[in-house]
Amino acid sequence: MANKAVLLNTVPPYGYVVANGKWKGSALAQSLQGNVKVMFEEHLGVVDFLLSDKSCVLHVSESDMVAGSAYKRKIVRFRNANSGLHGLVVVEKTRLSEQDFPSLQKFVVFELGLTLLPVGSAAEAAQLLVQLALGVSKENPFRRSGVSGLLDPVVLALVQQIPGVGKVKAAGLLRRFSSVHQLCGAPVRELEPIVGHAAAQHVWGFFHNPFD
Amino acid sequence: LQTSLKPSSPAGHLSVLVDSRCIASGPEVISALRLRQGVVAHVCSLDGCDFIVSNRMAVEWQTQSDIGSTHNRKRLQDRMQSLQSLFERVCLILEADRTRPGETSRPFQRTRYYDNTVSCLVRAGVRLLVSRGPEDTAALLAELARVEQRKGQAIGVPLEVKGQRAQALQFYLTLPCVSFITALNMCHNFRSVAQVINSSLDSLQAGACVSRSRAEEIYRCLRYSCDSSLMSTSAPKRTVP
Repeated sequence: MANKAVLLNTVPPYGYVVANGKWKGSALAQSLQGNVKVMFEEHLGVVDFLLSDKSCVLHVSESDMVAGSAYKRKIVRFRNANSGLHGLVVVEKTRLSEQDFPSLQKFVVFELGLTLLPVGSAAEAAQLLVQLALGVSKENPFRRSGVSGLLDPVVLALVQQIPGVGKVKAAGLLRRFSSVHQLCGAPVRELEPIVGHAAAQHVWGFFHNPFD
Repeated sequence: LQTSLKPSSPAGHLSVLVDSRCIASGPEVISALRLRQGVVAHVCSLDGCDFIVSNRMAVEWQTQSDIGSTHNRKRLQDRMQSLQSLFERVCLILEADRTRPGETSRPFQRTRYYDNTVSCLVRAGVRLLVSRGPEDTAALLAELARVEQRKGQAIGVPLEVKGQRAQALQFYLTLPCVSFITALNMCHNFRSVAQVINSSLDSLQAGACVSRSRAEEIYRCLRYSCDSSLMSTSAPKRTVP
């Protein structure tokens, strides 16, 4: 499949969008060109745009949706063609196409597992594509930061969740038994000198009493 | 050691957890879930998450104008980061803004900021869904729960805890990357707190219904040896001249 090879090898550099040749001269391509550099490619097959973050876009226009259900087959071909790339379906959700949107969303998101992004017009699609293309270089504020802090405060907070154990008793227990696992294994007589008789019973009971 | 894994609730009885804040902001969603979708919608305090539809999926619920508002930026970022640390999968339902009676519906003004937010969310792996209103939101939640059920991830434990289990729940919730549903699974699938603490990585993963990496993080925290010098009871250190 020559088409596939071309498709997978053309991950555009930052600031560029690879567009299917059929968009040449369109209003959408023109609004794109004001903000990013557009390279036209004749062999993208069913894909409309390739972005530099390894995602590819299929554009479903208002007229595609109004014309019947052929666009659904196109979406399936799009899904099957782009293994390895993140598939985004941009759909024109307008007054005319609005009624079909829920079933389209069910199909694209729940059945095919693709991302669906509604826009109001081709101009809005261009605006969104620009953000998708340019956002790659910036730090993503929604991504989970991989930095995990020290566990000591977490363990201290954990021990304080035991009924009858406050900050002072928790710190005392952890100076003697450095982990939750060790504390759990301690017999009552070893807990008593640290927290007193009553709290020692509570701590042991919290760990070992079976739930009713 | 063996974990007492209970069978999941019978098919057709899907469970969804709803944050208590949604009673004020979306009573229609809760009643539509119960009456139209036939879902067991249990309301409780989820602390930072609107809905939990499976053992691994949280759903955040926002209006379009919330997403498009720069005032909401920090809050949305904090919430999405915290959800991603607690759940394998995070969904965002974008609901159309409501119009009050007598008000003409204004078309939503799409800004560059809105598009930037949407593209960042997509790139962060958040699944986006669009809803026309509360009824639609309830239908999407039920559909998500059904899809998750087909993948063997449905919530399968009782949704309420009392007495000793309630105390254990608070303890589990303090562990890193333990969500409300993970804590609930731990409450019901282990006989005691000690059984959780002493369990192997495999049985911890099975009982808590979490991924391997999350099970490892929990396991590591339970066995983590604290530096006793950090455990001094905040008496101010005096520097000897």
